[in-house]
Amino acid sequence: MNRYEDLFGPRMFYRRLLGLAIFSAVVLLAPLVVEDPYYRELLFLCHYYVILASSWDLLSGFTGNINFGHAFFIGGAGYTGAVLNLNLGWQPWLTLPIGGITAALCGLVVGTVTLRLKGPYFASVTFCFGALLYKWLMVSSKFLGGEEGLSGIVPLTDSPLGNYYLSGLFMLAVVFILYFISKSSFGLILRSIGENETASEGSGINTTYYKVVAFIISAAIAGVAGAMYAHAQMHVGPEMAHDSLSALILMMAVVGGMGSIIGPIMGAYLLTLVNETLRFMGELRLLIYSGAVVAVIFFAPKGLLEIFSRAIRRLIGQERGKVI
Amino acid sequence: MNSILEIRGISKAFGGLQAVRNFDLRVREKDLVGIIGPNGAGKTTVFNLITGFIRPDGGEVWFKGENITRLKPFQIVNRGLCRTFQLVDLFKEMTALENVMIPCFSHRATRERPKGEKAWRVAMEFLEGVGLASRFNEQVKNLAFGELRLLDIARAMATQPDILLLDEPFSGLDVEDAAVLSSVIQKMHQKGQTMIIIEHRLRDLLKLVESVVAIVFGEKVAEGTPQAIMNNPKVINAYLGDRRE
Repeated sequence: MNRYEDLFGPRMFYRRLLGLAIFSAVVLLAPLVVEDPYYRELLFLCHYYVILASSWDLLSGFTGNINFGHAFFIGGAGYTGAVLNLNLGWQPWLTLPIGGITAALCGLVVGTVTLRLKGPYFASVTFCFGALLYKWLMVSSKFLGGEEGLSGIVPLTDSPLGNYYLSGLFMLAVVFILYFISKSSFGLILRSIGENETASEGSGINTTYYKVVAFIISAAIAGVAGAMYAHAQMHVGPEMAHDSLSALILMMAVVGGMGSIIGPIMGAYLLTLVNETLRFMGELRLLIYSGAVVAVIFFAPKGLLEIFSRAIRRLIGQERGKVI
Repeated sequence: MNSILEIRGISKAFGGLQAVRNFDLRVREKDLVGIIGPNGAGKTTVFNLITGFIRPDGGEVWFKGENITRLKPFQIVNRGLCRTFQLVDLFKEMTALENVMIPCFSHRATRERPKGEKAWRVAMEFLEGVGLASRFNEQVKNLAFGELRLLDIARAMATQPDILLLDEPFSGLDVEDAAVLSSVIQKMHQKGQTMIIIEHRLRDLLKLVESVVAIVFGEKVAEGTPQAIMNNPKVINAYLGDRRE
């Protein structure tokens, strides 16, 4: 691809749109093939993790500031939705956006607090937010159920199929929005911050503004997903704010390919389905699962997307540059 | 003509080391000023102080009638003062075009860009200006050293600066690349670009600039035409040491 119009012109736009359209068609038509409610629930989980992993990737994959507290927004919004539903009778169409707004405000706070931090310091402080919330939820038994959490939340929809389509549509909306954000000037600036923040600032970019906005968007999307999950499970517990969830999301993004939005989608589907497929192995499951993740990282450090991209480049005869 | 940039007595110490001491400079529009001095004289520190990457201990920097001493680097760039770095500082995993697109999204460049004009088209013009248009889709890590220097200048020019600060642009270049760079700088100056250039390669620098400032141990020791500076005893002493009879 040598002509610069090809990189930025309508041809590239429609090519990307076609890819997303194919993905959307697969998601929307899958229930015609997948009729078992168990597998529809499993695919619901895939949608949930895709939303979490891609929202995480917008901030951490692009700016390079690894957020170890993504569960802070998920659990916080999940509990917000649950409390509003159980105490005020608010339905999911209200609690989901409220959960997102709550998480966005938390994202603004966390983003502002961590403004000057980088590397392990940023990771540590974000980890602390999640850990503090988890501990507080564990001991808050009077209003928030403590270790047992809150149950009896109104379901998301009437059936696994309804859950599948609602989560699928939300996932597709998030993927479309985040993908085109990543290909926009905003995404390019986030990448520049991740690569070389000094040079980005020296090019006239207010890096603080972009990092905080990325934090807010990332948190808001995770918050809506958290509230959605709480309603789908009809239960919310402290495990939704646990650091193991943050670690899982990070792993999905790393395995799939950070800084791309598409990579975390691949990672989320793969790890969710593999984890479930290996369930029959009992205790060996964790060993094999962890070993597989390590193997992928070892042989494909930039994630599975890099292997996929190289294969497509060979297929279309393109020597270098981006294909996705 | 009034000064567009005024540096008034800026100083900076790092622990016990006085890196810059009471440095003054006035630059008018369309000036092409050279800054010379031996290694460790404080030249790059002066640039860092002007562009906000380091805060001075004393003194002020005034740009177009505004005190910019306490502003952040991106704010100074958006007021029209941009620099390149001694060690080329680019986005290595991005392509040449993407590197020049980033500054096109700065507040100042967005304001200056004609309505409806795409940033990537504007970025291509800057790449064409330094002769790198054919390398637009090449990742920066694959570019030759001379190309990196030119790309850094294109990146800085894309911020639409009123003053451009070049930090040792000829450093590490061979004769051919130096000639190309020299030609690019001359063209920019002919179009009215105000520049301040730090350089060790005096032969390349003195052909270009109209006035020279010499810094030794953080202090300005001489200022004048290239000819006057090269005959200045303090400058000669700084580079060659005391003459022994």
